[in-house]
Order: sequence, then C-alpha cells, then structure tokens
Amino acid sequence: MKKRMRWLTMAAALACFLLMGCGSSSDAGEKRELNVFVWTEYVSDSAIEAFEKESGIQVNVSTYSSNEDLLAKLKSESEGAYDVILPSDYAVEYLIAQGNLEALDKEKLTNLSNIDETFLNEDYDPGNVYTVPYEGGVACIAVNTAKVDLNITSYADLFDSSLKGQIVVLDDYRAVIGMTERSMGLSMNETDPDTLAQVEEKLLSLKDNIKLYDSDSPKSALISGDCSVGMVWSAEVALSMEENPDIQIVYPTEGAYVFLDNWAIPKGAKHYDEAMEFINFMLSAEAAQMNISDFPYLCPNKAALELMGEEYVENEAKNVPADVIAGGEFVSYLDTETLAIYDDMWTKLKE
Amino acid sequence: MARKRSKHELRANTLPALLTVGPVTVVMVLLIAVPLIYVAVMSFCSIDEFYNVKFDFTLDNYIRLANVNYLKIYVQSLVIALVTTILCILIGYPFAYIIARTKSRKKRILYMLVIIPFWTNSLIRIYGWRSFLGSSGWLNTMLVKIGIVAEPIDLLYRQGTTILGMVYCLIPFMILPLYTAIEKLDGSLLEASADLGARPAATFFEVILPLTSGGIFSGSLMVFIPCLGYFFVSDILGGGNSDVIGNLIERQFQSGNNWPLGAALSIILIAVTLVLVKIYQKLGGDMDSLGV
Repeated sequence: MKKRMRWLTMAAALACFLLMGCGSSSDAGEKRELNVFVWTEYVSDSAIEAFEKESGIQVNVSTYSSNEDLLAKLKSESEGAYDVILPSDYAVEYLIAQGNLEALDKEKLTNLSNIDETFLNEDYDPGNVYTVPYEGGVACIAVNTAKVDLNITSYADLFDSSLKGQIVVLDDYRAVIGMTERSMGLSMNETDPDTLAQVEEKLLSLKDNIKLYDSDSPKSALISGDCSVGMVWSAEVALSMEENPDIQIVYPTEGAYVFLDNWAIPKGAKHYDEAMEFINFMLSAEAAQMNISDFPYLCPNKAALELMGEEYVENEAKNVPADVIAGGEFVSYLDTETLAIYDDMWTKLKE
Repeated sequence: MARKRSKHELRANTLPALLTVGPVTVVMVLLIAVPLIYVAVMSFCSIDEFYNVKFDFTLDNYIRLANVNYLKIYVQSLVIALVTTILCILIGYPFAYIIARTKSRKKRILYMLVIIPFWTNSLIRIYGWRSFLGSSGWLNTMLVKIGIVAEPIDLLYRQGTTILGMVYCLIPFMILPLYTAIEKLDGSLLEASADLGARPAATFFEVILPLTSGGIFSGSLMVFIPCLGYFFVSDILGGGNSDVIGNLIERQFQSGNNWPLGAALSIILIAVTLVLVKIYQKLGGDMDSLGV
C-alpha cells in the first residue's frame, strides 16, 4: 500500500512538472512584453489597459518624477532595461547628443497625422527622427482672486512687494531662474556670467515672496489657501480651479516656460517592434483622449481634442492657447560651468 | 610532522574563525566599506559635459563647498539641529523621568506611547502634521470656530515648523537613552541626599543630573546627527525655506545631477558626524549606549 502511494505521488509530481513545462513553453512562443518608463501621474492606466487588450502585449510600467531621475536610471541600468521612455525637450536634446536613442520607424507611425504640425520638427529633434510629442504645458501663474488685489499679468508682477510670503513656486531651479530671466526680458538659457549676476540680484529679491517650494503637488497649497499665488505647471492650475473657483490662470505677458514631453526608444531596447506599436497606439485619438481626460495637460493630438469637445478646447488652463505656446521658450541643456552658476544662485535663494 | 600540525591548526583555529566572522566581515565590507570608499573617491572626481562622472582628480568640489552660501546653510543646519536637541532634552527628560519612576502597568503603557509612533513611517506622520497645521487644517479651523483668532494663522512653511517636525520625529531617540540612564539610578542615593538635608532642587542638580548625564549625551548625539540629514522634514514642513545639509545632498544627486559635488557634501556630513562622536568620547560618553 505504502509503495503504491509513493508511486502515485511521484506520478502526480511528474505530471505537474510536465504541465508546468507545457505552460511555460507555449507562453514563451506567444507572450510579448514591453517595459515602459514614464512620468508619474501622466499616462492614463486605462489607455495602457486598452493597449494590452488590443495587442496582447504585456506592459510593465515604472515611473520617474524628473528628467534627471530618468537620465540617472538610464545611466545606471544595463542597456535594454526599458523599451519606451518619455523625456522632455531638453532631455531629448541631451539623449540625442549622447547617442542614446533609437531612430523611430516612421512607416509604422500611421497615427502621426493626428499630431498638430506646430508641435513637430522642434529644435531639439529636427524632423522627429527620434521622438514624437505626447503632452506638454507651461509654467504659468495661478492667482486666488479672493485674496489678492494686485492685477497680475506677468512674471514680473510676482516680484511685487505686496505678495510677501504668499507664493508657491516649483521646486525646480531652471523653472524659477528661467522665470526671473523672462521677467527681465532675457532668455531662459542665458550663459553670460555678467548677465547672470544681474539675474541673481533679481532672483534674490523674490525670496521674501516665496512661501513654499513644491513640485510634486503645488495645487494642494493653492486649494487649501496656504498660498494665494503660484508659479506652477498649467495642469496643476487647471485641477486647482476645479476645486476652488476663486483661482484663475494667468499666462505671463513675457512669454512662458514651455515644455513638451516625447515618446522615444532608448538605445538597445529589447522589444523595438512592440515599442513602435505602443507609441503608435498612444498617438491614436482614443488613447490620447483617455490620457488628457485623466491628466489635462496641453495636448498636441488634434484628433483627440475633437473627441473631447468644445468644453475642453475652450478651457484655457487645460488646452493652452496656441499663441502662448508660440510665444514661449524651451529650457535647453547648458554647459556645466553655466549650470554651476545657476545652482549657486539657487543655493543662495534657499539659504 | 610539522605540516600535519599546521593543517590541524588550520582546522582548529582559522577555519572556525573564517566561518563565524567571515560572513559578517564580507557583509560589512560590501555594504559599508565599499560604498563609503566609492563616495570618497567620487568626491574627488569631475564631470564631463554630459554630467557623467569622470575619474579625473580634482579638488573643485570641495572648493565650491567652501563658498559662503554653503557655509550659511551648514550654520543654519547646525542651528536647527542644536535647537531641536535642546527642545528634545527639555521635553524628553521629564517624560523619561516619569516613565522610569512609574511603577506598575502604567509604565508599560507610557513606554508604548513612545514606541508605537516609532513603528509608523515618519514620512506619513510628517504629512499628517502638514494637514493638521495648514490654513484649512484641523487646528486652524478649530481656532477660528472657537473665536480665538479671526483669520487662520500661518503655521506652515517656517523654520519653527521644521524644528517642530524634527523634535517630533527624533524625540524617541532622546527618551530611550534617558530612560535607561534614569532607570539605573540608585534610589538609595536620593534618600541619602534627602537625609543630608538637600532640597529637591539641589538633589536634582547635584545628584540626579550628573548621574544621568551619560543618557543626555548619547540622546543628544542621536538627535543632533540625524537632524542634519532629515531633508524630508524641512521639505514638507519647512516648504524648502529651511534647508539642512541633507537637502543639499539630495539636490545634487537629483535635479543638480552633479554626483561628485553631492559626494563631497556627504563626506563633509560624515566628517561633522565623526567630530561629534569624538567629542562625545572625549567627554566620557559610552559608545555602547549609542547602540552602535
């Protein structure tokens, strides 16, 4: 009896192994995977699920919260760890200069026609050889009109002494220093040390007005009323306006800090074909609609805007007006010596 | 014959030592020594135009840190840590004294009151303070409702708020060594002091305080040092207005993307820590009571 039990157990175990073997071998033939590395709170889960359903490709998503995080991860991980990334303008410039991106197979991008041409062929990637735009926005001004009497129209107004201790700014030195440069009629990418000395003086005069530095969720301080003025990303203003009707959006007259995030494939990606399929899917009107419904940033996808309808298109905070984009400026990658000056300025501001 | 003995010795002495101490040594070398050496080497490296670390010896990182701006943040950081430590002593001492002198089950309850918050992630607790102190937070809403203030008061994003958060996070590190020191106090010494006619105040300053000073020293060290590095407290409650050395390090590794500079900052923080520990030892502090 005992002997027979042992035989039975062994047979069962063997059968299990065989079945497991079957499972994995048939999977290996069919299962397709894709490793996507994107910004937090930026790509809709429903869009990713829709892609998985349509293509049968399993998508593994990991996230970062700054371009520097992304660049550091690409530097430290082995080549091929990620198949799709979503860097901003200046990070694209950096990645292309380092030869870290794969060229996109344009023939597979059948949905590229959905993208508004004004967002194509940008300086950081002429001819869109390596990237296609996803979403973007500007660093604009939020004003709680119930608490602030000053009529704010420009970045320069943020330096007004009546705003003492009221402003939340992005905890981002290129954004805050760039804003200061624009307020002086300069470029956000100034490199002349003498000019930067003047910028520093101006920047330090902002110190007393700043109450909070916050890049993660500056809308919270605006909604709760802890800060009555903000220099924050446009979608943060759009979302805070929904919670607190006293908040208004102001696009600075000097021309705003503009950013545009882009789909790209890092060098050595292991699933190039799947990555192309994914990017093309994200360019479709339906996917873009899901994305902007969840994260109302500037949407270069005109087909998606049509689907969203008039209410969205006319909302200035969500659908940033074309002249704001045209009059704005991208941040670009600066040389290390200049960036050291920027960094020292920022340290002085925060001491 | 001689060869045989040495083989035997190897089996008797070296092998057991290798087996027992070996793994610990490997772990210590891999997880502590190697990263520290890596950071130290990196602090003398430079960066290329793409911010990649270049193994090219330079003192530039340290020269940049000798700048007045950085010195001001070091001083600010040291002041925040000092004030936090003093507050922790003033609040922690009476509390530790009460726990140590309480008999019965109450003692265990008081002890758990210190320990339980310790088990919750400090980031979550610090966010809790932010929503509690905010202008539409619980405290302000209540004050306005009762009529004590007409408008919500600005409690968040000040240096004082950072210090509050630091005290809150670090006070268990003060209470626990103090508790151990006071617990060890011989009760008969206090009776002797009273018998000899000392008033309670004199007993405290002449007998209790000197005998528990070891606890104060080790508690202070364990509060002061983390305080220099707890960047998230000054980020969340100070709103970025009261940076500590930890914030500077975090920034160079993240948005600054200048790892060698961040490494140099880390080395300075380690140097400050070592100096403080040395002072502690010179003052007669016991290394065991630091839990290291």
